[in-house]
Amino acid sequence: MSKVLQSLFVLGSTHHEAPLEVRERMALSADKAASLQQELHALDQIRECLVVNTCNRVEIYGLATGPQVEDTIRNHLCACNGVSRELLDTHSSWHTNLDVLQHAFEVSTGLDSQMVGETDILGQMKDAYAKARKAKCTGSVLNRLFEKSFQAAKSARTQTAITRGQVSIGNVAVDLANRIFGHLRDSRVLLLGSGDVAEKTAQSLNSRGVADITVTSRTFENAHTLAHSLGGAAIEFDDFAAQLKRFDIVISSTAAPAAILDRSMIAAALKQRPERPFFLIDVALPRDIDPTVDKLENVYLYNLDDLSTIANENLELRKAEIERARTILKGYAWTLWLQLRRRTLLARK
Amino acid sequence: MLNEIALTDRDAFAIGAAMYSAAFLLGMLTLLVRKSYSHSITFILLSGGCLLQTLGLNLRSAEIKACPLGNLFEITQFICWSFVLLYFIIGPAFRLRLLGFFTAGLAAVLSTVSLVAPGWDAPYPPGIFGGNPWVELHAALAILSYAVFAIVALVSAMFLIQQHGLKNKQFKGVYQYLPSVQQLDLMAKRLLITGVSVLSAALVCGAVLWIHEPELVPSFKLAATCLVWFGYLVVVILRLQKRLVTRRHALASIALFLFALASLWPVQSASETKLDATPVEPSNSVQ
Repeated sequence: MSKVLQSLFVLGSTHHEAPLEVRERMALSADKAASLQQELHALDQIRECLVVNTCNRVEIYGLATGPQVEDTIRNHLCACNGVSRELLDTHSSWHTNLDVLQHAFEVSTGLDSQMVGETDILGQMKDAYAKARKAKCTGSVLNRLFEKSFQAAKSARTQTAITRGQVSIGNVAVDLANRIFGHLRDSRVLLLGSGDVAEKTAQSLNSRGVADITVTSRTFENAHTLAHSLGGAAIEFDDFAAQLKRFDIVISSTAAPAAILDRSMIAAALKQRPERPFFLIDVALPRDIDPTVDKLENVYLYNLDDLSTIANENLELRKAEIERARTILKGYAWTLWLQLRRRTLLARK
Repeated sequence: MLNEIALTDRDAFAIGAAMYSAAFLLGMLTLLVRKSYSHSITFILLSGGCLLQTLGLNLRSAEIKACPLGNLFEITQFICWSFVLLYFIIGPAFRLRLLGFFTAGLAAVLSTVSLVAPGWDAPYPPGIFGGNPWVELHAALAILSYAVFAIVALVSAMFLIQQHGLKNKQFKGVYQYLPSVQQLDLMAKRLLITGVSVLSAALVCGAVLWIHEPELVPSFKLAATCLVWFGYLVVVILRLQKRLVTRRHALASIALFLFALASLWPVQSASETKLDATPVEPSNSVQ
């Protein structure tokens, strides 16, 4: 009975353990995440497996036949994202059994998120679960764990005020844009890539009346679709550098493996409009904009960590609610733990 | 009517300075403890300070029967009064948040320093303008240009603070009340052009006197005045050519205003020396 339960695990590298520059090295593309999941599931020691891959976390949930799987999992992750074992060991965490349940519940609820209380993570967890289930990588234990975590998240959200006063990245971006430009009616926005966070940020800016929004993406159809939904225009990805000087706010969220906007590009655009500031929002992981760009005069660069830190400034006010949510989740985790143990016991009989 | 007031001119200036200081300290306190900043209280205290300064200048004017611009104390009080008055036009019209707080700070420092600095309120012979309307116009315009440059320096300081906050990812406290960097930068540019235009007009008026009676204008005063004007002119030209923008423009504006203020004391000393040495009816004002 306890052998099965003892081998429930989660290996994770998140914003808690890894700074942005490490997280961008740990990040997996969607394809790589799917193949890693399949690869691990194919191993004899792994019964069930699920990979959660977002901009702030890479986590591998699983059920192993034995307790000695940690090294195997770590080595596979290192091979997949090409980082050294030492780097992974320094910037990752490993939980087992009851801790896995509590951790999964807190992640689904948004308590473990960089912006505490955010709701996007629940959708991302559901998405990861749906994909793993479709790929037949999950079984009765992970299915129950994840379904229960969605239920627990909903319950914790409705019974506490953890989302009250929660500031979205879009709202932070709007406030910052106001501090840079005053009003946004003359500001022109360029969206690089069609990531979810960038889209929401653009929507927030759009709702405050920016002059126009232009979208560019390596896949022109995606750019066109997003531009249409935002009431803007799409341009070819190859053209954006030449047109950079026309824009005041650039939101970048491409899946490019390295920076696509470097210091010389921004400096060249700035020369043609020295009196107007540049507001650059980099929500991509790995980062799309060279961090040294921030050293340029009249350029204001904000990445995911900067925006999250600002958004969490009122966290102190919600501390009591977060503790209440954690207590509720503990109850759910303990109940599920007992159920899993009983089920395994009954099955063995 | 002014004779019936129980206050002396210096009392009125002192209470005015206290009100400016109160506006600044109260604003500073609310910003430090991150309480909601009250624009109304600052506005009321600044208005009170300005009214008392107006009263002080009127009392002094009645006493000397001329515009009170005869010594460093009076010039400093007049500049201070002028930029506070200018704030009442610019602040509400352009909705520059916290400009009142910064105006109160500069007004408090200048008015207090002029009150406590020994020898600044030295007596001087009557009839300093000698009934020459060009000198009076020169003095009035020069004071107005200094008031504009004071506001430019304040707006530039606000720009640097807001930029520092944005670059260092600071979100709370004073940063959330300051206007945007672009708004501040644009305002500094417009005001600087206005200030240089007014100072140029003041110099043209002063030149009329200088052409007719060159011995009445000390050469040190002339050189310092021209240096201040030239400095501001260079900054304006570079700004219009977009070669001196944002941070460097703000730093240059602050440095020039400090230089202009610092040059007042030696310039005024040179003028007083000239007044003592010249047997003819003296003529003097600010730079």
